[in-house]
Amino acid sequence: MGLEELLPAIAGMTWQHLVMIGVGLILIYLAIAKNYEPTLLLPMGFGAILVNIPLSSALTQIDPATGQAVEGVLNVFFDAGIATEIFPLLIFIAIGAMIDFSPLFRNPSLLLFGAAAQFGIFFTMMFATLLGYDIREAASIGIIGAADGPTSIVVASRFAPNLLGPISVAAYSYMALVPIIQPPVIRLLTSRKERLIRMSSANRNNKRISKKALIAFPIVITIAAGIIAPSSLSLIGFLMFGNLIRECGVLNKLSQSAQNELSSLVTILLGITIASTMTADRFIRTDTLIIIALGLFAFIFDTFGGVIFAKFLNLFRKEGNKINPMIGACGISAFPMSARVIHQMGQKEDPYNYLLMPAISANVGGQIGSVVAGGIILTLVPLLA
Amino acid sequence: MTPTTQTALFIAVVGVAGIFVFMSFFYLIILALDKYLPYQEEKPEGEFIEEISEESEE
Repeated sequence: MGLEELLPAIAGMTWQHLVMIGVGLILIYLAIAKNYEPTLLLPMGFGAILVNIPLSSALTQIDPATGQAVEGVLNVFFDAGIATEIFPLLIFIAIGAMIDFSPLFRNPSLLLFGAAAQFGIFFTMMFATLLGYDIREAASIGIIGAADGPTSIVVASRFAPNLLGPISVAAYSYMALVPIIQPPVIRLLTSRKERLIRMSSANRNNKRISKKALIAFPIVITIAAGIIAPSSLSLIGFLMFGNLIRECGVLNKLSQSAQNELSSLVTILLGITIASTMTADRFIRTDTLIIIALGLFAFIFDTFGGVIFAKFLNLFRKEGNKINPMIGACGISAFPMSARVIHQMGQKEDPYNYLLMPAISANVGGQIGSVVAGGIILTLVPLLA
Repeated sequence: MTPTTQTALFIAVVGVAGIFVFMSFFYLIILALDKYLPYQEEKPEGEFIEEISEESEE
């Protein structure tokens, strides 16, 4: 009896499998040692190991005795949860239940930064087409710039399921790397004088928001978004549904469940299921490296878009009423990391400059902006592709 | 420029404009909600009961 019969997994192991097991170990290391998005990177890392051991029963295999396919649990999860978009949409309910929109009511104009900082999505999409990707793949790669994992997964699973693995890894990795990616880009685009701008909004920051307005907000937004772009409703609607559960005041138990149990449970399933696409034959390709590079590109140009938009607005604002351009960079969806990074940068320049509140307002705007961007891409691409 | 890139450019222009339109619309919704549903200090329950009892005495 040869090795092939005794230990078929070892006999079937290739260097590509070993590289992917290494990738899995690196993701686990980043999750545990560096605390980079551990809720997603750890299941994805473990899943990458699970699916790259030859003949893994976690994936669908052909039974040599009968010649019939034996379904693997991760394939079942994928078909049930990702292909149908159920997992990412459930995550949206959880995220909606976690978002407090009152900072937006205090500084509503900062919502526009949530639009400007989506620039990287579209710029990267164009760049990806220049590299030979078709429009659906390019849109899926560009959406990494939404800095919003579930949105990236929804768009990629619909337009480019073959690229879902690298897109998810890039999206979640760069979200964790916001404190490293954003500061140098901001420093490059702003002068010290600009970074020292104080935003006098103490009265606004203490403003109290009506409960009725916070309850009406998710309902009105859902109706408005649904009328303008019905394709965006699954994304925006689930986000707003989660938020309504939070704000209504009579479903506190459900709100807590959405924020904790639902979020945790679906995140575990989402992470390990995405890993089912991280098999050596699908992941070890030049495409993966290109996608990871383009993801970084998207994050850089998101930051660029937000900062430049703030500088543009400052051209029309009077002295004393200018916006600190660093706030523009908070228009991405990585919440509250981006706001925290900008606040810390502001304090580094001037310890008495408190940018946290406007930064959080712009960052909440970014959470809406990323979902809107996803909805717009889901609407436009099928029409034109 | 390939036709795919031209399509991407079109989507980018419409997409960026679309996000600004959406967000501006949301901005107006926030302003309207803030105006028509302003924060009002809720009266403590005790005061409310007192007011009712005063009215009934009258």
